[in-house]
Formats: sequence, C-alpha cells, structure tokens
Amino acid sequence: MTFQEHLQAERLRHLTRRHFLRDCTTGLGGIWLASQGIASGVSKPAILRDANDPLMSLPPQVLAKAKRVIFLHMVGAPSQLDLFDYKPELKRLDGKECPKEFLEGKRFAFIQGVPKMLGPQFEFKQYGQSGAWFSDRLPNLARHADKLCFIKTMQTDQFNHGPAELLVHTGNQNLGYPSLGSWVTWGLGSDNNNLPGFMVLISGGRIPRVGASLWGSGFLPSVYQGVQCRSAGDPVLNAANPPGISRDVRRSALDALDKLDRQTHQEIGDPETLTRISQYEMAFRMQVSVPEVMDISKEPAHIHEMYGTKPGKESFANNCLLARRLAEAGTRYIQLFDWGWDTHGSNAVESIKDGFVKKCEDIDKPISALLTDLEQRGLLEDTLVVWSGEFGRTPMQENRGGTTNKFVGRDHNPGAFTLWMAGAGVKPGFTYGETDPVGYSAAKDPVQIRDFHATMLHLLGFDHKKLTFPFQGLDQKLTGVKPTKVVTGILT
Amino acid sequence: MSPTRLLPLLFLSSLAANGEIDFARDVRPILNAKCTACHGGVKEAGEVSFIYREKALGKGKSGESVVVPGNPDASEMIKRIVSHDPEEVMPKPEHGPRLSDKEIETLIQWVKEGAKWGEHWAFVKPERHTPPTVSNPSWCRNSIDPFILGRLDSEKLKPSAEADRASLLRRVSLDLVGLPPTLEELDAFIADTSPNAYEKQVDRLLASPAFGERWASVWMDLARYADSEGLGLDRPRDSWKFRDWLIDSFNQDKPFDQFTIEQLAGDLLPNPTLDQLVATTFHRLTQSNEEGGTDDEEFRVAAVLDRVNTTWEVWQGQTFGCVQCHSHPYDPIHHDEYYKFAAFFNQTRDADLSEGLPAISVPIDRARHNEAGSLQASISKAESALYEIHGSLNRSTTWAPVNNLEATGKGTLLKTVDQDGFREFRTTGNVASGSQHLLTFQPAGSTPLTAIRLELLPLDESAARLTPEWGSFLKKIDVSILPADGSKPRPVTLARLIGDEEHPLFDPEASLKGGQGWGPYSKIDRLRWCVVIPQEPIVLEPGAKLQVTLANGGTIISSFPMVAKRGRLAFTSNPAWTALLSQQEVVAHRNTISDARNKLKAIPSTTVPVMRELGTAAQRETHVFVRGNWLNKGDRIDTPDVPALFPKIPAGVKHDRLAMAKWIVSPENPLTSRVIVNRFWLELFGTGIVETAEDFGSSGVKPYHPELLDDLAVRFQSDFKWSLKRLARELVTSATYRQSAVIAPGMAERDQSNRLLSRGPRQRLTAEMSRDHALTVSGLITLKTHGMPTRPPIPAGVWNPFVGDPWKTPAPGDPERYRRSVYTYWKRSIPYPTFATFDAPTREMCSKRRLVSNTPLQALTVLNDPAFDECSRTLGSWMEKLPAPAIEEKLSSGYRRVTSRIVTPERLKELVAVYRKLETDFTKAPDPKAGETPQAAAFGVVASVLLNLDEAMVR
Repeated sequence: MTFQEHLQAERLRHLTRRHFLRDCTTGLGGIWLASQGIASGVSKPAILRDANDPLMSLPPQVLAKAKRVIFLHMVGAPSQLDLFDYKPELKRLDGKECPKEFLEGKRFAFIQGVPKMLGPQFEFKQYGQSGAWFSDRLPNLARHADKLCFIKTMQTDQFNHGPAELLVHTGNQNLGYPSLGSWVTWGLGSDNNNLPGFMVLISGGRIPRVGASLWGSGFLPSVYQGVQCRSAGDPVLNAANPPGISRDVRRSALDALDKLDRQTHQEIGDPETLTRISQYEMAFRMQVSVPEVMDISKEPAHIHEMYGTKPGKESFANNCLLARRLAEAGTRYIQLFDWGWDTHGSNAVESIKDGFVKKCEDIDKPISALLTDLEQRGLLEDTLVVWSGEFGRTPMQENRGGTTNKFVGRDHNPGAFTLWMAGAGVKPGFTYGETDPVGYSAAKDPVQIRDFHATMLHLLGFDHKKLTFPFQGLDQKLTGVKPTKVVTGILT
Repeated sequence: MSPTRLLPLLFLSSLAANGEIDFARDVRPILNAKCTACHGGVKEAGEVSFIYREKALGKGKSGESVVVPGNPDASEMIKRIVSHDPEEVMPKPEHGPRLSDKEIETLIQWVKEGAKWGEHWAFVKPERHTPPTVSNPSWCRNSIDPFILGRLDSEKLKPSAEADRASLLRRVSLDLVGLPPTLEELDAFIADTSPNAYEKQVDRLLASPAFGERWASVWMDLARYADSEGLGLDRPRDSWKFRDWLIDSFNQDKPFDQFTIEQLAGDLLPNPTLDQLVATTFHRLTQSNEEGGTDDEEFRVAAVLDRVNTTWEVWQGQTFGCVQCHSHPYDPIHHDEYYKFAAFFNQTRDADLSEGLPAISVPIDRARHNEAGSLQASISKAESALYEIHGSLNRSTTWAPVNNLEATGKGTLLKTVDQDGFREFRTTGNVASGSQHLLTFQPAGSTPLTAIRLELLPLDESAARLTPEWGSFLKKIDVSILPADGSKPRPVTLARLIGDEEHPLFDPEASLKGGQGWGPYSKIDRLRWCVVIPQEPIVLEPGAKLQVTLANGGTIISSFPMVAKRGRLAFTSNPAWTALLSQQEVVAHRNTISDARNKLKAIPSTTVPVMRELGTAAQRETHVFVRGNWLNKGDRIDTPDVPALFPKIPAGVKHDRLAMAKWIVSPENPLTSRVIVNRFWLELFGTGIVETAEDFGSSGVKPYHPELLDDLAVRFQSDFKWSLKRLARELVTSATYRQSAVIAPGMAERDQSNRLLSRGPRQRLTAEMSRDHALTVSGLITLKTHGMPTRPPIPAGVWNPFVGDPWKTPAPGDPERYRRSVYTYWKRSIPYPTFATFDAPTREMCSKRRLVSNTPLQALTVLNDPAFDECSRTLGSWMEKLPAPAIEEKLSSGYRRVTSRIVTPERLKELVAVYRKLETDFTKAPDPKAGETPQAAAFGVVASVLLNLDEAMVR
C-alpha cells in the first residue's frame, strides 16, 4: 500500500467511527458535545471527539502533505533586513533622513519624528541553486538554501509584541483564542498515546510576554492546550514521583486506586469514573515516556556535535534536538520559542551589532542540524518546519525618545517580514513575494498572518473555512472573518 | 405552477394540532440554522436579511419581494426553498443541504398565517407559571420540584431516591461553602432525627463565612479578577480589596440589585462609601498594557469595550461583542447600538496609565474603611469647591493674549505661529524627552501682572477630539524677569498653580516644586490650561521681558516623550488672583485637603483602581468604530442608550452609568434575573437550565425547563427580594437537588446527561475546591478570611515572571501556607499550575463557564505535586497516630475523612491489602533519606491513594 492509499484506508476506518459520534447524540459524542454546551446549538463543531479518548488520532479532512509541525518562533522579531531580505538601495540610503512618504500615516512603537535610514549591517551573498540571499550571520543555515521556502512579504496589523505574538499563534490579537497547536491537535489528535499531542519548548531565558496564552486552548477543551516542557525540574510538571516513592510503590498504589474506583463505578455508574481510571493509567505511562523522550543524554556524540547541545542546559540547541525527538515519537505540534530578538538598539544586548549577532550564533547551527537530522531520518517529507518572528523591523534606525541611540537598532515593522518554511508540501529553494526597494513593506504578493494559517492548515489537510467550532454564537475559525487565501504559489 | 404545489407533503396535522406557528419557537431556529449565515446581521447577501421583519418583508436585490405575508406563492423566499433547480434553490447546494420537508412546511404555514414576527423568548419579560400537575405530589418539597417532576412524567421517567445523608452533606457543603464536611459535622447530621435536619445544615452553611469565599471564586471568573495587569508586562496590581468586598457582599447577602449597582456605578451613587467605590474595581480589572511602545488610547479603548462586553455577558447573557464590528448575526441588535451602550463607559478618567490611576487607598484594617472613606469624601468635596471657585474666576478674568512670544527650546526645536490672536509655540522636528521650552514675551501696558495662563493644545484639534494625541506634563514651571539692560534674570516667586481638573490624578502644584504635576497626561484631546499666580503682582520696568520656562516630562512606556508640542500664554492684571492666595474660603478648603491627606497617610493602606467619571468639561465624544476599528471613527453618538430591542431607560433620567446599572436590575429587564438564577443553577446542578449560560440569545441552547426558569426568575426578584442566599437555599432544599446521583440501570440511555434531572448532580470539584479539599481532609487548612494574596507552594521552574514579581512561599508549618485557594495570588501570564490543570480560566477576559476536563495532568498533579504530597503525608501521619490500635480502624477513618462516606467492607479489604504490601516493601527497602518508619511511609502512600480516589474528586 502506498502512503496515500494507506491514508485513505485509515480515513475510511475513522469515518465510520466519526459517523457514530456524529449521529448518535446519546452516545459518547453526545456526552462530549453536551459538556461543551453545544448539543443543540445552531451548529456543530467540525470535529466531533470522544471525551473518553480526546487525543485519538484522526485522519485529516482532505489528503495532507504534512503530519506534524515544528514551529521555531524567534520571540521579539528578528530583523529580516539583516538576515534574508537584502536591499542594496537601503545600503545606499544608509544614514540619510527617512523620506517623508515612509512616515505619512504610519504608527510606530518607538520611532519619533524623522529618523535616519539604516542600511544592512552585514555582508550578503547568494547561496545554492536557488540563489537565495543570506547575510553572513547564518552560514550553516545558508547551506540549506535549496530546502527553504521563503515568504518575504509577511504582513501583520499589530506592532506591539504581545498582540502580534498572539496574532501569530491564535489568529487574534486578543487573549482567549485557541492556539494553532490546539486547533491542529483537536483536528488530528496525537500519534502517541503516551505523550501530549502539543508540546512547547522555551529558550532564551524568558517566556514570551503573554505566556501560556500562546499555547492555550481558548474555547476548545483544555485537553488540547500545549504542554510546556521544562529544562529545570520535571520535564513535564509533576511527572516525577515525590521523594521516597519508587515506580513499584506507585504501581501498587495505582493498582489499589484502580480497584477502589472500579467499585465506585459499580455503585454509582458514572462514566467519568471510567475516564478517570484510564487517565491515571496514561499518567503512569507518561511518567516514563516523557522523561525518556526529553532525555537527550543518550544521543550519540556526533548528534551532540552537530546540534551543539549540552544535556541539562536550557538552550535553543537542546530544544531543536528535542523537537526532532518529539517529532520522531509522534508529537503532532512542537512549538519552540526563543526569547531575545527585540533589537531596538537601546543597549548592547538589543543591538544589531552585538546581542543580535549572538542570537544568530545560538540558532544557526541547531536549525541547520535539525534540518539535516529530519532529512536523514526521512521525517522532513511529512514534517513542516516554520521559522518566523511576530513582525519585521524598520529600515530606519530607531531614535527612541527623540534622540539618537548609542547602539544600532530597528523599530517594529508590521509592513513586511520574512518567514520561511521547509519540508512537507512547500516548494524547496523558493522565494515568494517581494518587498519595496528598502524592505519596508510588501510590494508584490503580500501574505497576511491569516493566509499563512490557512496555508498551514491546508498542508495539514484542513480547509480553514471548515475547521470551525461554535462559540459565542459564531462558527469560530483560526483564520477569523477577514478574506483569507491559501498561498498556493508556495505549494508543491 | 404555484411553487407550493411542488411540495410532496402538505401541512401535516402535527402543525395544525400545535396551533399557530410561533415565530420564536418554530421559525427563528430554522432561519438561524439555515439562512442567517448569508442573510443575517453581518452578511446581507442579495440585500436579503432575516433579522428584522421590515427587512424580510422588503425586496431583495433582484427586485422580488422576499416574504409577502399571507401569500407564500408570491414570496421569493418560499420559491427558493422549494425549488429543485440547483441555480435557484436556497440554501445554495455548496452552502448546505436542502431544508427538510417539515421545515419548508413550517415556513410556508408561517407566511400563510401572515409572517408574524415574535421576539426570542429571552427578550420577553419572564412571568410566573403555575407548576404542572404531577404524578407524585408528595415527592415535591418546594415549587421547583413539580416543574422537574412534570417533565419527568411526560418523559415517563421517575426521580431517584434521596441521597444518603453522608453524600448529601458532602454535596451541599462543597456546593455552598467549597469545603467538605468534617467528621463531627457528618456525625451530627446523621444523628439528627428532626424533620428539618437537612434544612438546619443548609442554614448553617449559608451562615458560614466560607460561603462568601466559595461564591467570590465564582464571581471572580466573571469579573476577570487577577492580581496582575495582563498583556505586555503583566505587572502586579493591587486589587485584593475588591475580592474581600465580594466575600463580604456574599456573606452579608447583599441583594443582587444593589450588588450590581455598586459594581457598575458605585462611584455615581450619592455620597458613596469607601466600600461602594471599592465595588467599582469590578470594571477596572480589565487588562492594561505597559509593554514598551504601546498606545495608551488603544488600550483605554480596549478596556472600555471589554467593560461593555463583560457587562452584557455577566448580566444579560448576551454575546454583545459580535456587535462591535457589525450588526448582530442572529439577534436584532444594530451595530451603532453597541456604541450607544459603549458611551455609558466612555467617560471615565482611567486611560491605561502606567500608574494604574485613578486608584484610591483603602485601609488594610477593614474596621477603618469608614474613617478613610469620610476623609476621602472631604477631600473630594473640597476639591470640587475649589474647582468651582477657580473656574469661575478664570471665566470672569479678561486675559490678554501674548502675541509677541519668542520661543527657544533646549533639547527640542521650537517655532512660533500666529493664530487666533496669539503667537503660539510649536515644536519642530523630533522632540526629545525632558527638554525645556523657554517662552519670552513683553506684556503690553504697564499694570502689574497678577496671573499668567498657559494653554496647551493638540496639534490638530478636531482630529484629537476623535483620537487624542500624546500629551505631556510639567515637571517644573518657572517665571523670571529679563531686565531691559541685559543683566541677570530675576526669578519670580510663584505662589500657586491652578489646574483645570476637578480631581487631578497628580498634585498640580508639584510643577512648582519639581515633579510630575499639571499636564494633559498622557494624552491631549482638547485645549488644556493652568494658571500660575505670583506671590506678588509682577511689575516690569520699561523694556523688560518675562520668561516662562517649561521643563517637560520624560519618556513614558519606554517610548513617548511627555513634551508639550503646542501652546500659548496669556496674562491678566485682575487683582482677584492675588486675593485668591489669602481668600478665607480657599484657605479653608486647602487646609481640609492637607489635613485629610495627612490623616490618611497615617492609616496603613493598600490601593485599588476604581472607576471615576470625567467632569463635564472633560467629557469625551463617542463614535461608532467602522468595522470595529478604533482608528476609524464613524457617526457620533450623542446620548448613551440601551438597544431598542429592550425596555427603555425611564424618561427624565440622565443617561449615565448609574442609569444603565439601574436599568439592568429594573423589573422590566427581561434577562438579568434569568441569567443570575441560571448561573446559580449551573453551579449547583452542573448544567444551567439554559445550558449555554453565556448565550441567552437566539443562537444559544433553549432552556430545558423554561417555565421553571421564568418562575424562579420572577420569584427571585419579588419573593426573595434579590437575595442570593434565599435563591441558593431554594435550589439546594429542593427534592430535585437532594436526589441520589447513582445512575440506575437504563437511566443512562434515557437521560444520560441528566438534563431532565432524574438524579442528583455529581460534579467534579472545581480547581479551588480540589486544593481546599486536600488541605481540609489532611487537617492543614487555615480558615482565616480576607487579606493580601497568598503564595502557596509552587513546583520548581514555573515562576518566571516577565518583570520582577517574587514568589515567596511561607515555610511548612506557617498557617499562611495553607490558606484557601480564593486568596492565592492570581497572575494572568503564569496561572497557578494546579488551578490551570483543573480547568480554571486565566481570567484575562470574563469567563462565563468552566468546561470540565478529565486529563492525565490532573492525575499527575494530585499524585505528585509537592503541595498535594504534603497533604498526603500529613493525612498519613494523622491516620498513623490515631489512638485506635487496628489498622482497619485507622484506614476507615482516613477514608471517611476524605470521601465523607463510611467505608464498605470490600474497599476496606483493598485498603488494608495495599497498606500491608507497602509496609512490607518499605520494610524490605527503606528509604534512608526519608527518615520515616515503614509504617509512616505506607500510611503516606495510602493517604495519597485516598486523595486520588474518584470519590475524593467529586462532590
């Protein structure tokens, strides 16, 4: 059986199951729907799930190229103008006053009055058959030029970090909406019974400013929220037994618990009791499977060398290796956040010449290793790797408080930023969209965040218009109500 | 051919038997499910919409009449739904399936009967209902029961027997006070043979101070209560006095109408008490954004809209947020009506300021609230009196405009522009924070100057009324004389600075001493003024000039320089200004203010943010936001109002927040009492009578027991006089509530989700309860009420706040470690892990309903979380130390303490077996680090088994 045939067969098998869930309103589907308060509302959610097995792997709505996602978010918004979007014209304007037409009608977070233009801060060269431009800050990644699919014209309508990060991860600038990973896990479930379907890994010393809302489940059931893996303490909260409790002791305790709860179920007859029994068993399995998948110490030396990993340390490199391990183990959605890309130039750490250079060093080798590793394990063909910030940076130098900064930095720019993808279903060695001569805004083929979301869902086998969940009287969807298109130009 | 003749089936007797078509019951659901997605309040495809009757009776884009009352054949709508032509049929094949024959019949019959429109049930005022005649009247204990039994009768179901006393007391204790019963309470109830034994327990619980703690938790979800600001930086915010106000209000059984008015408009009540001001913190719990570079106006507007949405969600059960961008997709509420309502909230002084202002200080000691309240009231009164005196003098003064101004800037370049008789200063190019404006002029004439007025203006006055510009503040203002001979400037002693605000957030006179004083902070939306009065009238020798130096503020929100960008000067020789300095009345008011401030300073206090209405001179304009975009202002709203669908605010009443609050709790309001009754029902029965407690609109789920809901809603107002305790009592003393929760054979198929209530509720503990329960049964809990937030143990690695906000847990043994969960510090960006795992919301927005999940992470929490581990060990050691010699007795007591129930022999056998096994294992392989006996270790593990029981997790 080919992969496609296999998928189709799987889909048919599940269709029967979903049929049962949909049509049998007093059955399990009934319970789940009822507990979500939508049993007889105007419309039903696109995905009907069994409350007793909420992470059951389901086939996508249509045939899909991607089975899982690894999303590398550079928190703070890296400068596209110093990494990928090469602008000779900007180089020419370096140090000159910003032309008026760039300032009229624009709102800035920090720029005051008339700022000066800031040319690319590093040397650029073309790489690979595709001739993609890279600055000299990402030499390892540049070797993968022909694997990457760039969108140079990403646009957002938020220019402060919190709302912009929320928009990237939930499709809404306000708090309280389900994250991408939650939608995807809700739609597809997990391929591993012993691991959460949606895992979050954080590096850079800080969590993103809106915190857990970036991987929250919003109005979807909380079981679909992301589980944050930790580099200090337990890899997943409370995975380890308390001191003095061995695995054998825990087994004895759970055996007793199981028997006692079964007696309760016999007396009361509440199906929730049975669910609870099965959740305790899953918890017991997770206690082994989570630390196992999170333990990188047993990886061979050449792998550590390739990623630049050091077991036990919080780092982006470790998280890249973990992402590969989670992908291998069947985790559906793997979200990495790397803090520290907000290069305003207000101090050395936030300077393009200093902090930014270090950040590039932190990610260059690990991302390159991740792509190599996924490819050599055959995972890249059905994994979608995404790299992005939450907006772009201005071609003007920041002049916060109306003064010239001591360090070189750029302000927030919602008008254009670069996002790249690699792997399942996207054209390798391809660049989509074009910015204006100074890289300030999208000139040709702009792509909104919601278009990117629609495209990602498409790759995962969903029509973004049909992946809906009724809430507050509306069929809510990740892509919201504004006109949205799948960016077909980047699809294989 | 007439289209209706194409129908295979016509007018089944079922329709006729039901009598007339009822629009709300029969037609609206079809329209909502099949039509309004394209022909609704948002989209009006082909210019057809089914939200309003007049629109539905009109013509579509095609020119055809959509609905012709009495004439289905002439109605385009009917023509389209019966059609089999894929080009013509509605809904379009790609949008959805054909209407069923029954639906088509219903619509045809409806048109035939005249296409009568009717209001959705929830928009019609509730009425009392006579309960139905039931099969077994003796089962009924109060007037709730016949409604429930009547429905069960019609479904041929029987109610369950009453729950055993242990289960019942556990259920009602956790439901009413959030804590399980103690062994003593259980014994007392079981031994009580009086006929009203249960009611006595209910009354005891209603009188317990823990009642307020339990119900405050419920209301805090609605109020989006948190101890942090949310969004960008999520800094700590002092708001816990509001939480204590909630606890007290529930414990005092404050009538719900008063409870409502105080939270929505306590500040507008005549002579509000301090507690009534604290109540208004409700709407200051919106998020604020202090992330660098964020716009205060943007987040002020966001807070205003959140207040609108939250008010509608909490009190009206309506998804009003939809109407922010467009007319309501299902219900007849217009887009502009949203902004008419928003106008009630658009006149408060708060503006996403970094300082969280306006805020009031509140004594830590509750006994001193009234003392502080009267001091603050005296300040407010004196400020108003001074504002009147100053304002009228300003208006009666003849001001001479300065038309020969020379302006030079230090740090920011200035230019001058002649306008309206003045020579104004304007900044040019980039402005720099902390820069100084040097303004020099030569007054015409030779009379002494008694006052100088500084006016600041927005760069674009008309645009700023819609969307204000960044403002400024005066860090210092100085005046000096520049002698004609060029000799050294002579400073003028300034005695007073008078600002244009009635209740300024910062002391304007700080601008005389140096510090944040007067200014349009942080935004300017109109002309603003202040007056400086010299100690002595200024006399200038011929040729001399006056120089006014404005030292501007610094950068706020890491980005915006608080520099005045446009302004002008005027002066006067009116001696009344000099006289003002020693005017007796003024002096008296000033003394009142400074005395009261000193007294307040001596009272140990915290602060809370409160609502404060803007004065008349500072009122904002409210405009419709085109497509919900705050930067795109449409029509101006002249008077705040409620949507036309609802009863009006009485004539002659000023349309302000107070009027709006009173409208919400007026007997005419169809929704408020239904919504609150339903909320209590939801908490106590697990599901509301209206299952979608957050949506009483036509897209929500219809009530299972509509007559009961309406009857209770009316009685709640008239008989119970809005008493929440009486409402709760009515619910929990019903026979319905007292039923056993056992799912009898066959019941699962007939009433699986228990909507019909053929059995009692069996709910999982809430997040707060699950922690409080473990603390209680282990004996650790501290039942102290009120006070600052607490920081119980938290797993390592969780607490990484974005900005400093340390988490210090009191050491083991310290009672503060074991306070109830309602007091736990609530940070929006880092939810307390146990609460998040047990489905508590993050409270960034109003949360109407917690969806209950059942996950492995919950299992891991109760098994392994250090706080639960501490409870297990404590409970284990309690069992071990019981004087009873037999293991069986110890284990039975532990089991009963945790589950409230007497252990069955089978269960006891299991418990003894696992205890013996663990004891043997720990004896064979003792943990040297633990320093425990094998017995203690075994009891600890068995205690953990008990805390993890399904029976321990439910109520």
